[in-house]
Amino acid sequence: MNGLSYLLAAGTSNAALWTFLLYTLAVFALAALSNQLLKGKSFLSEYFLGSRGLGVWAFALTFAATSASGGSFTGFPAKIYTHGWILGLWIGSYIVVPICAMGLLGKRINNVARTAGAITVPDILRDRFRSPGFGLLAVSLIVFFMIFNLVAQFKSGSLILKTLVADVGMFQDATTHVGGWIQGIGFLEGADAGYLICLLTFGVAVIIYTTYGGFHAVVWTDVMQGVVMVTGVLIMLPLALLLIGKLAPPGTGALKFATTEMIAMVPPEVGTATVTVSEASAELVAIQQGDWLRLEDEATGKQRLFRVTRTTVIASGTTRASEVPILEIMSPGDKTRVAENPATRFRDSLRIDPASLRLQSYVYGGEEDRNGNGKLDDGEDRNANGKLDHPRPGLYVTGPGPSAKPKDVNGFLPLSLAFSFFFMWAISGAGQPSSMVRLMAFKDSQTLRRSIFTVAIYYSMIYFPLVIIFCCARILMPGMEGEPDRIMPAMAVFLTENIGAGWLAGLLVAAPFAAVMSTVDSFLLMISSALVRDIYQRNINPRAQERSIKILSYLFTLIVGTGAMLGAVNPPQFLQDIIVYTGSGLAAAFLAPMVFALYWPRSNSTGCIAGMLAGFAAHLSMYVAGMFGENGSFFQPYQLFNFNPIIVGLFTSFAATYLVTKCTAPPPEDLVRKYFYQQAKS
Amino acid sequence: MDNTPSQAHSEEFAPVFVNSRREALWIFSVWAVGLVWAVPFCYFTGYDESVDAATFSTTLGIPTWLFWGILVPWIVADIFTIWFCFCYMQDDDLGRDPENESATVETSVDAQGDPS
Repeated sequence: MNGLSYLLAAGTSNAALWTFLLYTLAVFALAALSNQLLKGKSFLSEYFLGSRGLGVWAFALTFAATSASGGSFTGFPAKIYTHGWILGLWIGSYIVVPICAMGLLGKRINNVARTAGAITVPDILRDRFRSPGFGLLAVSLIVFFMIFNLVAQFKSGSLILKTLVADVGMFQDATTHVGGWIQGIGFLEGADAGYLICLLTFGVAVIIYTTYGGFHAVVWTDVMQGVVMVTGVLIMLPLALLLIGKLAPPGTGALKFATTEMIAMVPPEVGTATVTVSEASAELVAIQQGDWLRLEDEATGKQRLFRVTRTTVIASGTTRASEVPILEIMSPGDKTRVAENPATRFRDSLRIDPASLRLQSYVYGGEEDRNGNGKLDDGEDRNANGKLDHPRPGLYVTGPGPSAKPKDVNGFLPLSLAFSFFFMWAISGAGQPSSMVRLMAFKDSQTLRRSIFTVAIYYSMIYFPLVIIFCCARILMPGMEGEPDRIMPAMAVFLTENIGAGWLAGLLVAAPFAAVMSTVDSFLLMISSALVRDIYQRNINPRAQERSIKILSYLFTLIVGTGAMLGAVNPPQFLQDIIVYTGSGLAAAFLAPMVFALYWPRSNSTGCIAGMLAGFAAHLSMYVAGMFGENGSFFQPYQLFNFNPIIVGLFTSFAATYLVTKCTAPPPEDLVRKYFYQQAKS
Repeated sequence: MDNTPSQAHSEEFAPVFVNSRREALWIFSVWAVGLVWAVPFCYFTGYDESVDAATFSTTLGIPTWLFWGILVPWIVADIFTIWFCFCYMQDDDLGRDPENESATVETSVDAQGDPS
């Protein structure tokens, strides 16, 4: 079958793919249209200043869409699925995020930006304190963190694409071939071939879209993407409840049934096994991600169910593949639902070698007593804590929630972290430079007031419904813990196919894709503006021609986008880890200096620079300590007094800014007068 | 205050600064109230070592600790936001934009020198 026929086959069998492609084309068309409409206008004036007149809908939705990144639609659903209802508390401070993120600084930062003529965040800091060095420091930190975040967004977009094309024959063939090619290639070895293909496709598409559509289109594509996101959630919620309702006994509400089922759930165990076939084949045998394998337990006679978590192959002429990544589902209810579901893809031609099983249970909430004798027998200490743990009922409906991470010995969200995250989302949301830029862009105070209200309602319609939807996903789609970042698109496909409207999946999958795109284009814009405006134009060539600035902007977009794409080849498992690191790091560095700059006339450049560096260093040191300490991973930071690094970073930053300011000379009088005073009326 | 301009007798704090600061304090207070309510309430009612499926409390299908700890405060916060945005927050003059004016001049110069 040639490539075209493969695509046509995919098109007829998978309407979702076509719907999704149509959405993507619409985004491109909108970008192109924006570009056309803006022809004849100055790149400089549109790029740097055109957005200072944003109205309510444009401002509210570009703010919401940029904030609700791939993390909200990929990492957050993954966490809900993995840890249960406790994510409602984890995201709890979103009850006040809109008013905090927009209201704490919004009016004042817009006012100061206008007074200074500033059009980027480093611009504000530089002009407010008349300190080019401060501006450059701010640029450096923005670029550092944003590139990290872009890596996460690229991963997210690639996973969404992968889910969509997973059943397309050409994609499966390509995955098998690429899997063979990358064996032995340094940093590509061990990477999922399907993911790599999608990363390349998504990355190239987004970079071209952003570069071609230019920066003019960002706000309006954000508006469209914002609408798509909330529409996607509002469609998924009733569909999820509808399907759960079909499983519920008569007289029991769908959500009540879902919660009750979750009470009995037990975390899976994750590991590897050797998988064999009975006879060697002349062709390689693909063991696809998502395949189900069965094994009868010799001791108990019970059936054990395993799911393949990464595509692997049995080479031609051989009968076995070793260390195939798998997980074993442990909840009796899940086992029944999987076994009785006619759509379950059991690969009974494949056999697991029981002696080869290497499984690990959750650090908190795992480890079943397999032989039921109540003793810690050989091989039963699967979470390596020296004792036999019995998963208790209710792990997924109460705090602190189950967790597999080695550092989470007290569960996913112990009390100290619950405080940290309540602090983090609301307060660090106000400290995000990407949010600050948008706060500089609204037209007037009335626009800000109405936009805060709009975003508050918007977030209410997204975040708690997401918690409900992906708690339902635990019942509807067991065994996704091995690839949790795929749960959102997988759920979209599942929901729509079950009501016979597969084409709708394209629109639903477009929601997280829209979230990723709106974040990627905004972040690329921010990095480019930082490099071009704050470094090149303001420090190297203040009289640069518009044409040079335009070319440089596109060039930097291309380079940064490509770099982020390469960085996403082998990212950490949880997308949300990167989002949390960059979001908290930016807040630790930027919030205190900006708050003092806006609200404290006594603040000076020395104090604010010290606060920025101290916040950055304190936050980073927690992550570095995690990497070199017992956690052994950069993304499992050391938690001083069990608090998230954001608390340490913010506390250090605010304290350093205040103390250093008090110990150094007051700012120039004319600066204070310019930004804080006006002539008395009488 | 040692950095108060010497001509302070003829100048006063700009209203946008005073209003923004007062509104920011309100917002920070609301966040603090949310923190003091939501986290302790969820902790004391939702971190339960022993759960019995027969007696586990739900409200509208949602665990009761989450319903009262987060969902109800969420609705209250939205109501507060409506009041704050439409009844309390001031419409301040945010000032003119000098960059816009200078860029307009720069743009016209650029446009003459670079027809592309």
